[in-house]
Amino acid sequence: MLRLNDRVFGLLMLALAVAYGWGAQQFPEPFGGGEAVGPKTFPTILAVVLAACSLYLIVRPDPGNPWPKGRTALEMLIAVAVLIAYTLILEPVGFIVATMLAIGSLCWRMGAPPLRAYLSGLIGGIVVFALFNYLLELPLPWGVLAFVEGS
Amino acid sequence: MDTLNYLIDGFGVALAPHNLMFALMGAFLGTLIGALPGLGPANGVAILIPLAFTLGLRPETALIMLTAVYAGAMYGGRISSILLNIPGDEPAMMTCLDGYPMARQGRAAEALAISAVASFIGSLIATVGLILLAPLLARFALTFGAAEYFALFVLAFATLGGITGKNPVKTILAAALGLMIATVGIDLSTGVQRFTFGTLELYEGVDFIIAIVGLFAVSELLVFIEEKAGAGREMIKVNKLSLKWKDIREILPTSFRGGVIGFISGVLPGAGASLGSFISYTLEKRILGSKNRFGEGDSRGVAAPESGNNGASSGALVPMLTLGVPGSGTTAVLLAMLISFNITPGPLMFTQNADVVWGVIAALLIGNFLLLVLNIPLVGVFVKLLSVPPMYLLPMVTMVAFVGIYSISHSPVDLYFMVAFGVAGYVLRKLEIPLVPVILGMLLGPEVEKNLRHAMQISDGDWTILWSSPLSITLWAIAIAGLVLPVIVGPILRRRMKAGAQPD
Repeated sequence: MLRLNDRVFGLLMLALAVAYGWGAQQFPEPFGGGEAVGPKTFPTILAVVLAACSLYLIVRPDPGNPWPKGRTALEMLIAVAVLIAYTLILEPVGFIVATMLAIGSLCWRMGAPPLRAYLSGLIGGIVVFALFNYLLELPLPWGVLAFVEGS
Repeated sequence: MDTLNYLIDGFGVALAPHNLMFALMGAFLGTLIGALPGLGPANGVAILIPLAFTLGLRPETALIMLTAVYAGAMYGGRISSILLNIPGDEPAMMTCLDGYPMARQGRAAEALAISAVASFIGSLIATVGLILLAPLLARFALTFGAAEYFALFVLAFATLGGITGKNPVKTILAAALGLMIATVGIDLSTGVQRFTFGTLELYEGVDFIIAIVGLFAVSELLVFIEEKAGAGREMIKVNKLSLKWKDIREILPTSFRGGVIGFISGVLPGAGASLGSFISYTLEKRILGSKNRFGEGDSRGVAAPESGNNGASSGALVPMLTLGVPGSGTTAVLLAMLISFNITPGPLMFTQNADVVWGVIAALLIGNFLLLVLNIPLVGVFVKLLSVPPMYLLPMVTMVAFVGIYSISHSPVDLYFMVAFGVAGYVLRKLEIPLVPVILGMLLGPEVEKNLRHAMQISDGDWTILWSSPLSITLWAIAIAGLVLPVIVGPILRRRMKAGAQPD
């Protein structure tokens, strides 16, 4: 069993604790002079707690879980990329088209046949869009389908 | 007598037609959420919060709906335990033991019906317990000062990992991370900017709703992709229901005991629904002695854990409502809901927002009846929906999460944050760092700091005030026990739960 996971994570968290704690010491003194508990007191306590926990993890790590490799890792990266792309195109392209593309891709990559995947994305997108725009009156972006809106 | 009057007022709120409609909707959605493997109650409630928020619902309506979702999710968890042998959520694990064998013997419909009745009884007992206990605890909590509150928050974090938790250090680490995220933004009492890096989006801090949805919903999608669980599993067909009165009478004593045990373990810090259903199952096995056929499809083996976990879920509302300190992931999410409606949870809520509190409690009672009615005849509908494979379902859930977050602020930046939290949530889950303390830290952070400040102002900078009253010393002692006990008792309990979970 590899115990590397916790060690690496512990090191990262230790770095975070140091950076966070150092950052807290740089806060300007609040107007009216120092109090017993200023803006930096609580963060300083947290930095110490986090540092202590990180050190414990570095010294006594638990056995780690294996990380996904190869194909699986790639699929997961694709999924994250799809989610980022979804956000990116949501406003310019509009909710329905963006949803068909993004949700369809996710269904497809998770194992659905492509046609059915994108069809589900389209139907899901239209249903939610109609629900939000007409029933709940919370407008979602039309995007490229804006010409439908006027007619 | 006050309680009764409040409760009647509460029924007035809960029975208003639109509130009743939202309760019904919540109960339906909740059962569905609970039934779908991998979409636990915390997750489900989290996705629905932004919706409740953007719909412009009044606080009591939103809270009634989400309480119904919460109660429904506990009912739903049993469906996949019985039909698929996969618990829909963690507490439903024990239901698999006798539920699945019953289904394999062609008594799936009976198992579903019996578990619905047991869930109903468990919840009912615990709700009555809640009605009796909550006002008392709230009155007691009024005597708490800032120092006691600070100790109470520490206790909440210390016991969050639960007595069965693996590594308490990881729980503390997670809580520290959450508290650190909570300090981002403008410090409320001094106006100093903290960790904003001059970014406008960070001035108001990180929105915990975004974090919750990201940590739970988006990370779930990644876990499913990793496990290649997209296709779903073979499900047992549901037979025609033939339930006799005798079958129900047989499980009544078991369900009553389960409900009481569940309620107690729900109220106590660090116990929770999983332990509630486990204790109720093993205790019942012992009480029945040689008369039981537990593990081979005994209907009482279905009733015991189900009444236990439903009792615990109502019991868990007691510390959340009275002290503002949730003891489980889902109640933490409900707390997030309250905070976003500017209702300060805690003892004062019982006087200042009595309509909300008692409306919710009444809704819990009504919700239970709705759920029982929904769950016996409509179980076929849920079974149908359960057969939708995750490869369609999880992307759709992701879409709902996106829409929910987007409709709060119409800002794509929030969506990027959500995706980032999703990836972080996946990494933390891989490292076995629990997510609930992170969320609780984000939620309670401002309160923890505020109480620390008040305590120090009162004592003029003397730190010993934090452990100077008998009450705060007691709280600290429980907190320390909460950290030390899992290390000693945890491995033994975990082993026994594991041994109990395998039919011998």
